[in-house]
Amino acid sequence: MTETFVYWGMDPDWAWFLATVAGILLIALPLMLAVAMVIYVDRKVWAAMALRRGPNVVGPFGLLQSFADGLKVFLQETIIPTAANKGLFLIAPIITFTVALMAWAVIPFNSGAVLANINVGLLYIFAISSLGVYGVVISGWASNSKYPFFSAMRASAQMISYEVSIGFIIVCVVLWANSFNLNAIVWAQKGHIFGLINGFAFNPLLFPVWVLFLISSLAETQRAPFDLTEAESELVAGYQTEYSSMSFALFWLGEYANVLLMCALNATLFFGGWLPPLDIGFLYLVPGWIWLFAKIFFFFLVFSWIKATVPRFRYDQLMRLGWKIFLPMSLIFVVIVSGFLMFTRYGA
Amino acid sequence: MELTSSLGLIAPEILLSVAGLFLLLVAAWAGDRASSAISIAACVVLGAAFFLVAPSVCAGAAGLETVAFGGQFRADAFAGFAKLMIYAAAGAALVVAPAFFTRYAAMRAEYPVLVLFGTLGMSIMVSATDLLTLYIGLEMQSLAAYVLAAFLRPDQRSAEAGLKYFVLGALASGILLFGASLLYGFTGTTQFELMRVAMAGPISTGTLFGIVFVLAGLAFKISAVPFHMWTPDVYEGAPTPVTQFFATAPKVAAIALTARVALDAFGTHADAWRQVVIFAALASIVVGALGAIGQTNIKRLLAYSSINNVGFILIGLAAATPQGASAMLVYLVIYVAMSVGSFVAVLMLRDEDGAPVERLADLAGLSRTKPALAFCLAAMMFSLAGIPPLFGFWGKFVVFQAAVQADLVALAAIGIAASVIGAFYYIKVVKVMYFDEAVNVVRDRSDWAHWALLIISTALMSPLGYLLTGPLSVLADRAAASLFFLV
Amino acid sequence: MIQAFAFYLFAALVLASGAFTILARNPVHSVLWLILAFFNAAGLMVIVGAEFIAMLLVIVYVGAVAVLFLFVVMMLDIDFAELRSGLVRYFPLGLAIAVVLAAELVLGVGAYRAGALELGTPAAETAPLVGEANIVSIGALLYGRYLFLFESAGIILLVAMIGAIVLTQREARADAGRSQQNISRQVSRRPEEATVNTRPEVGQGVQL
Repeated sequence: MTETFVYWGMDPDWAWFLATVAGILLIALPLMLAVAMVIYVDRKVWAAMALRRGPNVVGPFGLLQSFADGLKVFLQETIIPTAANKGLFLIAPIITFTVALMAWAVIPFNSGAVLANINVGLLYIFAISSLGVYGVVISGWASNSKYPFFSAMRASAQMISYEVSIGFIIVCVVLWANSFNLNAIVWAQKGHIFGLINGFAFNPLLFPVWVLFLISSLAETQRAPFDLTEAESELVAGYQTEYSSMSFALFWLGEYANVLLMCALNATLFFGGWLPPLDIGFLYLVPGWIWLFAKIFFFFLVFSWIKATVPRFRYDQLMRLGWKIFLPMSLIFVVIVSGFLMFTRYGA
Repeated sequence: MELTSSLGLIAPEILLSVAGLFLLLVAAWAGDRASSAISIAACVVLGAAFFLVAPSVCAGAAGLETVAFGGQFRADAFAGFAKLMIYAAAGAALVVAPAFFTRYAAMRAEYPVLVLFGTLGMSIMVSATDLLTLYIGLEMQSLAAYVLAAFLRPDQRSAEAGLKYFVLGALASGILLFGASLLYGFTGTTQFELMRVAMAGPISTGTLFGIVFVLAGLAFKISAVPFHMWTPDVYEGAPTPVTQFFATAPKVAAIALTARVALDAFGTHADAWRQVVIFAALASIVVGALGAIGQTNIKRLLAYSSINNVGFILIGLAAATPQGASAMLVYLVIYVAMSVGSFVAVLMLRDEDGAPVERLADLAGLSRTKPALAFCLAAMMFSLAGIPPLFGFWGKFVVFQAAVQADLVALAAIGIAASVIGAFYYIKVVKVMYFDEAVNVVRDRSDWAHWALLIISTALMSPLGYLLTGPLSVLADRAAASLFFLV
Repeated sequence: MIQAFAFYLFAALVLASGAFTILARNPVHSVLWLILAFFNAAGLMVIVGAEFIAMLLVIVYVGAVAVLFLFVVMMLDIDFAELRSGLVRYFPLGLAIAVVLAAELVLGVGAYRAGALELGTPAAETAPLVGEANIVSIGALLYGRYLFLFESAGIILLVAMIGAIVLTQREARADAGRSQQNISRQVSRRPEEATVNTRPEVGQGVQL
């Protein structure tokens, strides 16, 4: 895009700046739209699984429900508890929301269609997702209320625990793809199985790793069955208890943007990203971003399905699963995968 | 190719680390029930490492074929000689531990594992020929040591010892790192050989500061005055088997490391560091001797004694000659045997409930109630004092001889004078045991392992030990020569 | 232009958040400022082209270490009045130390300017691996030349971990069996083992 602006006779520095801003808007605005629609889908799926109708009043099939909700929170008054730490209380939802958007900078939507094609892209995503915990922790502390505080404690323990195994899972993928660049990782999956199927998940050694990743990403985004931070039967609404209006909406948007990010990561790391599912010529006629969106949508349906059907974990079960099962398993797979590659690819 | 030969040279370290990891897994699965089995296995591993190192010591390995990892590590005869002492001392610390800890129901399977990893750290220390290796080995040893000092955590003194050791040890590491960064900045390298080359010619102020800071950091680890203040507290508070370990293996490692740094890295500027070492030596001898006089706790007394001994060892280093290094090694062997003997004897002092007896006054009349134990302890004390028929005398003799040969006559004279002061409190212990009214506090029977170690070390300290002087000095000479063998 | 701007932005933010870390009255705020400082330091690393270090700084310090800091500090019950009570008493001493340090800094810089110190030239300058991402070069060095030290450093961390567990787990072990649950037993438990059907007579109560 920078070249186009330069071609139009712009100073290179300004061209770069404008191109970057345009890129950010090109990602962030559709993402917000997607989040609104995806909330609707989530509610519809959830309702269908519970034999209910779900939102069906605003607009055709209730399609505009999320926008109505958005308008409602926008017009509400922002209530700040008197005992709250005002500054941090207001910053917390902004952090959650910003961090959820930042990670999208390195997700490739097509060959070359990526805002920041950096060579440590996957590490960047890992770093940014580790920042996500701050929004929750700060909001829990700044609310100066006991349920949000419990929620903040749970969130920090939970996210740190599962980040450890996500780190090792990422190492397995990086070892196989031989790069931290997400685009390179996508290319490495082209025709991965018999030159026909695109995607690491169909590799018998990486399939269990993908299963670990899927479950860890549920825990990392605090989705059911790991939604202990907002377990309504114990903690009212968790860290969001004291929030209202736009600040609440920012949490809501950030949470779903994070869920979509994890779906995108599942698609990019294990299912070939913007590549079509099969490595057959005519499938490439469909633009890459459509394949990516289809995959993201598929994983989002899986997330909703899990949310609708699986009961919530207990806190100790969650910790046990993270430290005593996932961590050793992912470590073992790092050893197995690197050993296998050592003997096959690098010839011992 | 280079990697293969390097891996061959670090075979003892690989053995120790793999065994440590394996035993840790055993400890995790089997729990504390397996602690004695793990201790025995750890002793076997140390023995195996001992025999892996022994050939290089006997052959006097030196030169290029002992250099591993591009100059970060050297497995020469000097390192080997120190490693033999370290493995033997660590083995002794493992042998005496179960009988001590089971009385507190505190024998845990992690003890032998930590000792193994600490030994691995020391093993890396004595072979270090690079500031990075030096620091890695030192920290590995220190971290294990901090935990071991606090091993009896319900005991307040042990917890205090661990904390004190940790805080001061971290401070010393900081000083050492500061010196190391100065050295790296001013010489442009972390490798000892390149550093010696870079230092040729007049010495710059920055380098001099680096040398002093590094030596100060190392002086803490060998508990030389003025960096000795942690020693009595830590030795007193730590569980006695751990104290025995501290007094022997880490001290050997730190002294060997200091010698290598001083003679190898700073070898071209002996005049620059010699005054530091001479001061530390004299101060250690005097403070060790004077500080011990007022002590009523036998472990504190032995702590001051160890400070005093470090002073004599540093005299050997101050000579900065192969004879000096060799004398230092001979003294170290004797010192390790004496320390093991005296701490085992302290371990065997227990009242009828099995609680340890540490007060000097409670030893009164030990010669009547426990004549064999009193005899062995008296032999250790006379030997530490350096009274001629006993083997302890030989160590002091070779060190002073080396100092005189290096024209450090004044140093030797002051050292001899101070050792006479030191003899006072050693003989006081003997006097309490043999001539005071019996109080009959020490009653408990002792473990056979303790007796075995005590008898071995007493035999070594007896005049029989002089039979060893021949082979010992040959090996020590070869080891010292390898240190001076320029690559 | 943009690089200079980014550098001054990050550097100023590092300094400012470092200052606020010390000046903040609330320790939670201090930790948050510290996190901001880490984050901006990572930005500086990116500018000098050390993107791998930058990411590690964020992942390790911001993502893990500082979260634990925050975790602990949030749960502490700190009496701020008591914390500040010593300030007046120690102020002269603190000031004296600050003056001494400042004088040393001035002297050091002055001496350096005067050329009194001769810095050595690095003896063995390593040629940078041209055209490689720095993550590749770091990996090649760590697993090549510094293999031995890298693995040894791993053992140091292991020793620290063993130490922490040995020193803290003692109490938990003493009453094992009471506090710990056997998960596989819980999971394999069936309804018929845990419940029993009874048909009590009306008004008789239940015999258990």
